[in-house]
Amino acid sequence: MSGAPDRRPADAAPDATPLVEVREASFAYDPERPVIKRVSFALERGDFVGVVGPNGSGKSTLLDLIDGLLAPAEGAVLVNGRPTREYRRRDMAREIALVPQHFALEFDLTVRDVVEMGAYCRGSECSPASVAETALGRLGIAALAERRFPELSGGEKQMAVLAQALVQNAGVLLLDEPASSLDVSHQLALFELLRELNGEGLTVVCVLHDLNLALTYFTRLLVLSRGGVAAWGPTEEALSPEVLEAVYGVRAHLHRHAGRTFLTFSPQRAAGGHARGRVHLVCGGGTGSSLMRELSDRGYDVSAGVLNALDSDEVTGRELDLPMAVEAPFAPIGDDAHDENLRLLAGADLVVLTDVPLGRGNARNLEAVRAALARGARVWVLEGLLGQDRTGAAASLRDTAARFVADETALLAALDEEPRQAAT
Amino acid sequence: MSLGPASLSPGQLWHDLLAGPAAHNPDSIIFWQIRMPRVVLAFVVGAALAVAGVILQDLFLNPLTDPYVTGVSSGAALGATVAIVLGLAGGLLLTGLALVGGLATLLLVWTAARRRGRIDVYVLLLAGVTASYLLSAVITVVMIHANDDLGAILYWLLGSFSGRTWTDVETALIAVPFMAVPLFFTKEMNILLQGEKRALELGVDVERTKVVLVVTAAVLTAIAVSVSGIIAFVGLIIPHLVRLLVGPSHRRLLPISLLMGAALLSVADLLARTLVAPAEIPVGVVTTFIGAPVFVYLLRRGRRA
Repeated sequence: MSGAPDRRPADAAPDATPLVEVREASFAYDPERPVIKRVSFALERGDFVGVVGPNGSGKSTLLDLIDGLLAPAEGAVLVNGRPTREYRRRDMAREIALVPQHFALEFDLTVRDVVEMGAYCRGSECSPASVAETALGRLGIAALAERRFPELSGGEKQMAVLAQALVQNAGVLLLDEPASSLDVSHQLALFELLRELNGEGLTVVCVLHDLNLALTYFTRLLVLSRGGVAAWGPTEEALSPEVLEAVYGVRAHLHRHAGRTFLTFSPQRAAGGHARGRVHLVCGGGTGSSLMRELSDRGYDVSAGVLNALDSDEVTGRELDLPMAVEAPFAPIGDDAHDENLRLLAGADLVVLTDVPLGRGNARNLEAVRAALARGARVWVLEGLLGQDRTGAAASLRDTAARFVADETALLAALDEEPRQAAT
Repeated sequence: MSLGPASLSPGQLWHDLLAGPAAHNPDSIIFWQIRMPRVVLAFVVGAALAVAGVILQDLFLNPLTDPYVTGVSSGAALGATVAIVLGLAGGLLLTGLALVGGLATLLLVWTAARRRGRIDVYVLLLAGVTASYLLSAVITVVMIHANDDLGAILYWLLGSFSGRTWTDVETALIAVPFMAVPLFFTKEMNILLQGEKRALELGVDVERTKVVLVVTAAVLTAIAVSVSGIIAFVGLIIPHLVRLLVGPSHRRLLPISLLMGAALLSVADLLARTLVAPAEIPVGVVTTFIGAPVFVYLLRRGRRA
């Protein structure tokens, strides 16, 4: 036990010992299939860390390793600089509290009984009844105290078990998907509470699935993938689209809106990518944003133009990484952008003209569509366009081969009805 | 204590009790040599089986568990059967062999369930039930070859306190300190109701607790079986009954189960020796007759309000 300090590098000060250090740790239930592979990271006092990763990436196992319930096959897990396997269970429970994902208790104990059990590790240093009372009050579930535990709802059980863990009065709180059985208001209440506890000095490590919750609440994220660390660091760096695409196999788009950052996802482009053909959107002012997403999600390659930079369609297109013809903000369409648009139009299997307000600034877009029509390209027009047209030129599209579609929904439905290769 | 094939009046009883054992007074002999050991024995055995039942049901988190599923009782029964066949019936050797049989079975089952220094309670349960069947088969084989002693073996297997002496009581009293053991583990036992993993998370030394509790339950069972044969139902029903009455928290569950077990078996033995006096019904039959309807009634009435 006294050997622990010797493991530290000689130059490190004693107070530099991380609260929890996972050092090249590996673990396997079955030697053929390791669950945790050479994972390294360290937690400082007061850290607020989210652990994310696909199903089966080893998140729960990692928590069990930190709590010393499992011992690493290789490497080491140190708590306060001391290997977890050297801890007696009671001493470990005083350092680390864990809120498990699943919790089974069939016997008719009251919530108060259950919460008081958390005080077991503290022996006679506190009165179980009074610390339980405090924890129940803190979590706002004092009214449940006399209820029988098995009769609680999933969310109430979750809160009771959290209260049990808080009664342990440990410096580190590990949570395994605590939000999974909570509705959205209780989810937010829980994470606000965790943030509050963290503010009071509690070190929190929370496994969760919802990446947007992770993004909103946690300061640091550990991204696990197939038992290894895919990313570890400040939240927004750890959740970069590149990492998410590599780890989850989906395309992720990071948005910043009204001071908030959030992610949206779309399925990964099928290999080869061109199975459903290319659709060029002539849009603007937000009229094309949802189509950009819908069509991308359906496996189409999408391009757009001409859009003014910072136009909301242009922002969406940039997030989705679409090829676009872009003009400067608020400027009328110039020759370069127009030519680029014609080039994109020429390669498209289908041209969609949305209900974009047409004016002098973007009149050349209509010109480009006419050129495509003249070439014999397939052009679909949203009916709403005619009501938005201030140039009066759009009405003449009625006389062309362009197909008028009622709205986006009808357009997508019509596309879905076509055989897979029809767009080509 | 006053009731039995030969009635003693309460006044007579009090007199005999204060006067102490007297060699030449038939009433006193009935009281001190026949009734007293019997009642004490029923009391202790009932308590032992009830406590063992509580421990095992909670450890296995299985309400169908009773002290006999660990195989300990069958081991003890085999020991006793062998003793009877060898002509040692009624002696201290019978009790001794029964104890040895019970504890040897525990060791066997324990070894089977031990993996990487941990006791897998499910393997323990399955190994115990398997051992039970195996040993019962062995007992049957022994019985086939023991024509003369068949009646004695059968009667012993059914469970009875008839003809027990102070020697048996002394053996049974060994169980008393073991009954006290789980009272020191009530917190751990409560926490273990949430499963072993959660207990570890909350800081319980699960392996140590399991070792202490399983050994305690096995010793209690072996002692009970060795002095009274196999008495059904007490270890299964009493814990349930008491849980329905006072809830599953062990601080009350254990002591009340202990008293209820003792009381049930004393009353059952009273009925066993008086209902068809001067003949006797095996006490295990009586416990089942009392226990079954009471239990069904309580189950139907539902959980405690």
